[in-house]
Amino acid sequence: MTEDTTPYEDASSGGSPSEPTLEALAAAGFELDTLSEEQYEVLRALSPEELALLVDIRGRLDAAAPEVQAHADVAGGALF
Amino acid sequence: MTATASLALRTKLTPTTTVLRAATAALWRPEGLRRRYLRYLAAMHPLVRASVPLLERAAERCAGLDDPGALSLAAYYTRHAEEERDHDTWLLEDLAAAGAGPAAVPHPVVVELAGAQYYRIEHEHPVTLLGYMAVLEGNAPGPRLADRLAEATGLPEGAFRTVREHAELDGGHLDELHRVLDELAPAPARQTAVSVSALHTANLLTRLFLSLAADPGGHP
Repeated sequence: MTEDTTPYEDASSGGSPSEPTLEALAAAGFELDTLSEEQYEVLRALSPEELALLVDIRGRLDAAAPEVQAHADVAGGALF
Repeated sequence: MTATASLALRTKLTPTTTVLRAATAALWRPEGLRRRYLRYLAAMHPLVRASVPLLERAAERCAGLDDPGALSLAAYYTRHAEEERDHDTWLLEDLAAAGAGPAAVPHPVVVELAGAQYYRIEHEHPVTLLGYMAVLEGNAPGPRLADRLAEATGLPEGAFRTVREHAELDGGHLDELHRVLDELAPAPARQTAVSVSALHTANLLTRLFLSLAADPGGHP
């Protein structure tokens, strides 16, 4: 794909691996223990925008948690 | 070893699955499900109505780029638009079978969801639509959801076509999307643009489902 409209610098294209990114994800409540090294690499290189969105999404879980039912695995998602 | 584009996208989206599943669990809780299901259908109709126009516009934008990858992406979008065509009509038929109709105005979060994609297609890059599609197709209804909804709501079978047919359709769609993404192998900045689009979509959908789950309003 062309790069003619790249709007910002990308954290995965030359930035140093970021352990603070993993720490921020863990602090937000994400389970990171089962990831492969390849997946860790991906998460270390998250851009600030990606990290902010992930942390924001995780913050919404608290609102939903009391309503989680045992049948969630049966229902799956709700999108097409 | 560098992850493929699809593995990188899946890795970034994996943590969002738990949150989206929690939001949909709240949406599908048994109490008041009949009314909530109708509100859900009414909210999903304008979102699905935007699918084909978004795909067609993204294909047009790709065709205007001087980029061989964009041409194959345009072909994929065009093909997928045909697969998605008229699915908004299914939602209207589901609503009619349930004795309801479409919402008078689109849910504001639905406007944000589709609107963000129009912006990205026009002003960023049409490849970003892959992120939006990955979230929608990666969170398809479970195979038993339609039966459970029918039992819990008492609505006629004709009110569940959209949920039932998409439970079967979207697994293959997601595999194809990943294959297209890996064949394109976008540059790192483009991959980030795709995943920001995907994470933004997941965040807005979580808001939408929690809003539908919590809304005590009347008939849609």
